[in-house]
Amino acid sequence: MIKLTDVSNINGLYKILKATVDEVIDESPLIKTFVMTPEEPFRFNTGEFVELTLDGQGEAPFTPSSSPFVTEKLEVTIMKTGYITSKFHDLKPGSVLGIRGPFGRGYPVERFVGKEVLIVGGGCGLAPIRSLLFTLIEMKDQIKKVVLLYGSKTPTDCIYKPMFSKLNSISNFETYRSADNPDGTDWDESYGLVTKLLDSPRVDLSNAIAVVCGPPIMMKFATLKLVEIGFRDEDIFLSMEKNMSCGLGKCGHCMMGEFFVCKDGPVFTYDEIKHNPEIWK
Amino acid sequence: MNRVIKINREEWNKLLIQLSDSGERIYAPVRKNGSFDYEQVARDNADGIVYNEAKPSSPLKIFFLPLRLNVTSGGRQSGRTVVVGAPACDIEGLKLLDAMYIDEKYIDETYVSRRENTIIIGAACHKTSDSCHCTAYGLNPWPGEGCDISMSRAGEDILLESLSVKGEAFMTEISGITGTEEAASGDILLIEKLRAAAAKEVAKRNNGLPGTAETGKLTAAAAPEFWKKHSSKCVSCGACSAICPTCTCFLLIDRPGFEKIKQQDTCQYPAFERVAGGEDPLKELSVRFHNRYMCKYVWKPERFHVLACTGCGRCSDGCIAGIDKNRVIREMV
Repeated sequence: MIKLTDVSNINGLYKILKATVDEVIDESPLIKTFVMTPEEPFRFNTGEFVELTLDGQGEAPFTPSSSPFVTEKLEVTIMKTGYITSKFHDLKPGSVLGIRGPFGRGYPVERFVGKEVLIVGGGCGLAPIRSLLFTLIEMKDQIKKVVLLYGSKTPTDCIYKPMFSKLNSISNFETYRSADNPDGTDWDESYGLVTKLLDSPRVDLSNAIAVVCGPPIMMKFATLKLVEIGFRDEDIFLSMEKNMSCGLGKCGHCMMGEFFVCKDGPVFTYDEIKHNPEIWK
Repeated sequence: MNRVIKINREEWNKLLIQLSDSGERIYAPVRKNGSFDYEQVARDNADGIVYNEAKPSSPLKIFFLPLRLNVTSGGRQSGRTVVVGAPACDIEGLKLLDAMYIDEKYIDETYVSRRENTIIIGAACHKTSDSCHCTAYGLNPWPGEGCDISMSRAGEDILLESLSVKGEAFMTEISGITGTEEAASGDILLIEKLRAAAAKEVAKRNNGLPGTAETGKLTAAAAPEFWKKHSSKCVSCGACSAICPTCTCFLLIDRPGFEKIKQQDTCQYPAFERVAGGEDPLKELSVRFHNRYMCKYVWKPERFHVLACTGCGRCSDGCIAGIDKNRVIREMV
């Protein structure tokens, strides 16, 4: 057994770092991005998540949507979908919240070197992907190609709209968008489910890896489609968002079979978790 | 057998009171209204201390994982605690708690401080109860490791076997306070006889009950209808988890001032895994019910390589719906 006296860095498993909201950006009717300044520089690896606390009200897990290369500011994109996310949406510039983390295992970007990276995102699942894209932009000379396929319910629900033209201006980056249904607004992209964009994956399957992040139903069908078109299970990286609470692999709320998603994930390869039929629930 | 000392039970009780009077936290199972559970030993309850019967109502985990704890304002425990009379099943359960709370990355100081400051005096079960089934899972109804001292009773004498450095030091300490003597070979023979008889009793009662690995295979294979049938009477009260020596899940509650309260929780409660947006992998009662069996017999053993059910049987004793875990398991066979 470990002796308490032997462990110097044992304090503060639940300690928070305060952060002040600088700016609130409306991304879509239900999604906002909160730009905040932490009290101290905050470091994380892309794909790792944080627990954000509203003082005395509750806490929820989010994967930052900002660049891991920027430590003075942190951006988190939140969809209003439940009690605590509604409370987050009430935040104004100047509001103070708490950050715990970063937690978990993010994207193993070192495995992306020399590869063609196919990214499939849906809805608010583009938030962790944006952080990954910032990382891949820094690595653009080491990556052969990045193809982003993104689906939203309607053109209005498409988030980070200004980002797409910036990505398309990078020589080895391509983006394709699809909206499930029209809503009367201008839309030069396609319509239909995001999985339809996989009919032409636009990458060399012999040297490609895939990343999927989005609502569970979209992740399920996108993953099955990727397998069908020839991706190996170990080359498909999934962001499994469950009810992560403590972030420490202890409270049990995010257990997915033998895994604690908060500690072993949230990023898993499909190969690691496919034996569990419950993963898409 | 390691060094064994003998002390008269009355003298032992006096010693516990003396230690308690000096400000130490001394706990032992005390009989009250037909059952027995841990109480802090004092002058007025020492006569009711139960020696070497089956498990107390509460599992040993309560000393290391308080039901409710503020984890942002320290939460460490200082000063010594002595727990007298912990059964072997509960002591085995600490292996899983240690693996989870003293893991390589996140060490829980509130847990470690309690483990460090507690002397566990395990007790051989000379009596067993109907729900006891430790032997089916490869355990003995007496402590062999994982605690500091193993206690047995021979008539009016208490026999203490040292099982750790901490236990040996405690035995030396008490020998300096009160009259103890080295146990004679006849005492050792008696301990062994009582142990063997208890093991035989438990084994006989559980004849044909599959071991944990086999139970895991059966649990994973049983159809959804099986779990629907057996969970139909479950009211999601969570008693099975609350009194389980290895259930450790908890809820974090936010309090003003960025304080966090850790409170015992269970996957048996509705909405345990529900996320914003409404997805809930454990929405259905039968899925939650099955989840607990999977956790005990498949996932935790696979993940931590220790037992996650140690055969104490409290979940069956405590179920208000009368669900008998071992009857469920026998039906899978």
